[in-house]
Amino acid sequence: MLPADCSSRLVAELRDALDSCAQRQRQLERSLRISRRLLRAWEPAKTPVPEPTPGPETDEEVPSSAFTACSPSPQDLKELELLTQVLEKAVRVRKGISKAGGDKAPTVKSESTATSPATRASTRLRASDWTGSHASETKPPRGIRQTRVPAKDLSEHRLVSVEDPACIGRGARAAKLEPSRRSQETVPLAAPQAREVFTLKDKGILLQLPVAFRKAASQNSRLWAQLSSTHTSDSGDAATTAKNHFLQKMQTTSGWPSSRLSPAEVEAEVGRLQKACSLLRLRMGEELTADPKDWMQEYRCLLTLEGLQALAGQCLHRLQELRTAVVEQQLEPWPEGRLPRASSPCGGGADTIRSPPLLLYSSTQELQTLAALRLRVAMLNQQIHLEKVLMAELLPLVREQEPLGPPWLALCRAVHSLLCEGGERFLTILREDEPAD
Amino acid sequence: MGRRRRRRVDPADAARALPEAIAVLTRTLPTGPSPETFRRAKFDRPEAAPALWRLLFCVLSPMPADGASPSLALEAQARSVKAALRFQGYPRRALAQLPDDGSQGGRELLLALAWLLARGPTLEQLLAQSRVRLGDEMPVCECESLASPGPAVPSVEADGCVDIRHLQWLMGKLRFRWRKLMASQQEQCALLGKIHSYTRGCHSDRSLGHLSVTETELLRDPEGGQQLLQRLERENVRLEAALEWRRRELVFWQWMDTVLGACPPEASQPTFLPKIPAQGAAELELVVRELQALQEELQGVAETRPYDPFDLLVDTWAPPASLHEQDWVGGHGPEWSASRRALQEAVRQDLVALQWAWERGGGLAQPHGPHRLVRTEAGAPEGRGLQATEVIEVLRSREACLEVVLGQLQGQCRQELARLVGTLPGLIWIPPPGR
Repeated sequence: MLPADCSSRLVAELRDALDSCAQRQRQLERSLRISRRLLRAWEPAKTPVPEPTPGPETDEEVPSSAFTACSPSPQDLKELELLTQVLEKAVRVRKGISKAGGDKAPTVKSESTATSPATRASTRLRASDWTGSHASETKPPRGIRQTRVPAKDLSEHRLVSVEDPACIGRGARAAKLEPSRRSQETVPLAAPQAREVFTLKDKGILLQLPVAFRKAASQNSRLWAQLSSTHTSDSGDAATTAKNHFLQKMQTTSGWPSSRLSPAEVEAEVGRLQKACSLLRLRMGEELTADPKDWMQEYRCLLTLEGLQALAGQCLHRLQELRTAVVEQQLEPWPEGRLPRASSPCGGGADTIRSPPLLLYSSTQELQTLAALRLRVAMLNQQIHLEKVLMAELLPLVREQEPLGPPWLALCRAVHSLLCEGGERFLTILREDEPAD
Repeated sequence: MGRRRRRRVDPADAARALPEAIAVLTRTLPTGPSPETFRRAKFDRPEAAPALWRLLFCVLSPMPADGASPSLALEAQARSVKAALRFQGYPRRALAQLPDDGSQGGRELLLALAWLLARGPTLEQLLAQSRVRLGDEMPVCECESLASPGPAVPSVEADGCVDIRHLQWLMGKLRFRWRKLMASQQEQCALLGKIHSYTRGCHSDRSLGHLSVTETELLRDPEGGQQLLQRLERENVRLEAALEWRRRELVFWQWMDTVLGACPPEASQPTFLPKIPAQGAAELELVVRELQALQEELQGVAETRPYDPFDLLVDTWAPPASLHEQDWVGGHGPEWSASRRALQEAVRQDLVALQWAWERGGGLAQPHGPHRLVRTEAGAPEGRGLQATEVIEVLRSREACLEVVLGQLQGQCRQELARLVGTLPGLIWIPPPGR
């Protein structure tokens, strides 16, 4: 059994590590749930999905026509009906191709040249082949859908929507009437000609973000850019002076001298010095293993080692200064119950204020490699930290324990496996017994 | 001629400017208290205190990433705020002496808020933390993994003694969790790749090209999309208020001066607070020990070299063709000293760069922070953003470094243990089969 304080420290560290792992896992699970759901067939939205009509209309035109058109002419309707039939045919053709084994996202646009109208029976048959669907989106051949949407209602967000002539005039009261209207509409259309399901794989490229959202998003990025640009410029020297004046006055009216270090500063500096130590050690390792080819390289190596020694001395000196400062100022170095650090340690400042920069990847393989490496680096960091903590706690125990009987050997074996093999492997200790005679 | 123009604002305008400025401030703050609260706080009215405690708590604690944050009672929030302010070095002790139940202290809390706002880009940081993220983001640096959040509650489990086998079990559990994490991460990347490729060409912003998960989810679930839109709009309101705050904040700082003036001065001799031994002190000791060990090693290396490394060189290496023999041995000659100086300068710059690496966080050239993932065709025109291949290379070298470090540590342990056990007779130490 390990002594109490040692146990509690080690158990706390390991639990910490386990918790941070668990937190990452939770976040990942959340994202996985969302992503998996997106890749399955989508459940129908409150308003059923209208048929997309590609073709001569560009993406920009369609929504505007949806929002502004109120009463399409019969001719428009006929044209639309024809287009819809064409599309049904295209969908059938595409299903045939994708069933034959194509896995790429289909491009409906290329198939819109089919001209023969779809037969209802065949589409009904096709629809039953869809798997995993909760779905049943009625797909009337007329592509009828009420789309008069109040400015902020996102319930109509898919492509294409054409007004049902019967729906003219419902316009502004759409929000209230929609539920009842939907039930009215679904009744006559309840003789479903075909049941189409929306999957991202097949129809993903037909998606389009709603206008309200696009506006808000662009305004958002514009405002962020403005905020970050005025941040760097002196938005009021007067304000900055006033702020500094206020801070100084706060400092002087309080009883404490301004040379005090706050615990936050001490912690930050200790972190930097720790990083310094690992960088210096790494560099030392590089210099010691380097094989100089001529006198210049060797001289350089020697000079570097000298320099590293000087730097290490400086860092140590600084740490000792910090240690005495903490003691002298009666600082509570890290008060208990403190909140996790509010400011992000990295990129805090101008960088996080702008819109996030882009990270371009070209294949799923690349993305997976990237993510795996990130996790591996995080894991190694954690392992190194744990190793240092375990070393600091366990090695003294092994050294101190004098009775060298079996319990001590068992401890040695366990410590060896923890410290030297990451807990993965064990060594064997054989004891030679005294011969009986 | 008009009124006499003063450098400061006309009193009548000033009377309006301050409430307007405060109103703008409350619009940018996350749980904006009403401007009336600020006025009450100046006069130290008790009813202003709870709202300000809550506001300070919101400002000082980061937005929980998981979304669900258990709302703490006011006392707990007050204690957290005090601890956080002390951690940051808040100078006034009066705040520490305020009661936790939120019955007093409006003015002191107002001063604390102003102090936080004056010290750094607090508002901008607050906004950035709670920012609506529209893309699929991945951080490219390890800063977040290194910053351990630290237990918010000190470990209450005073288990007492545990057996070392418990530690072994915990380590095994940790290893298992990492494996699981890796597997889930791979799956998530595969799904992301699919979603990005299936929605090619759908984004209105051509430089992005495809939709992110958030945006696709917005299309799938209109209600959720509605909420997202509302959040975006609320953020836009806050951003606009923040921009306006910049124009109006001067009058607020002038007012805060008067608030500070209204406070009674604090006694100059601080009462000594009891020191609580805590985790941070242990960290400091750890680093001290590491540095001492490093220094000893470097010293050991230095002892094997002569005082002037040049003597060693002269003995070991043949002189370069450009130098005469006697110049080489004597260490004289202009070319000689020129080369020496050049090398010394090069090493000096090298070491300065190394120092920068830990003091300035590796210099600003290193990319930091979350980046939005965008799928492109290989060989697409560069310059739009960071390439994944570059990040992969950096990560690989980082991985190699860390493996070396870990190996060194483990080797040290092995040596130490072998030394301890090796002193005993009659034991055979069979290490496990190597990798």
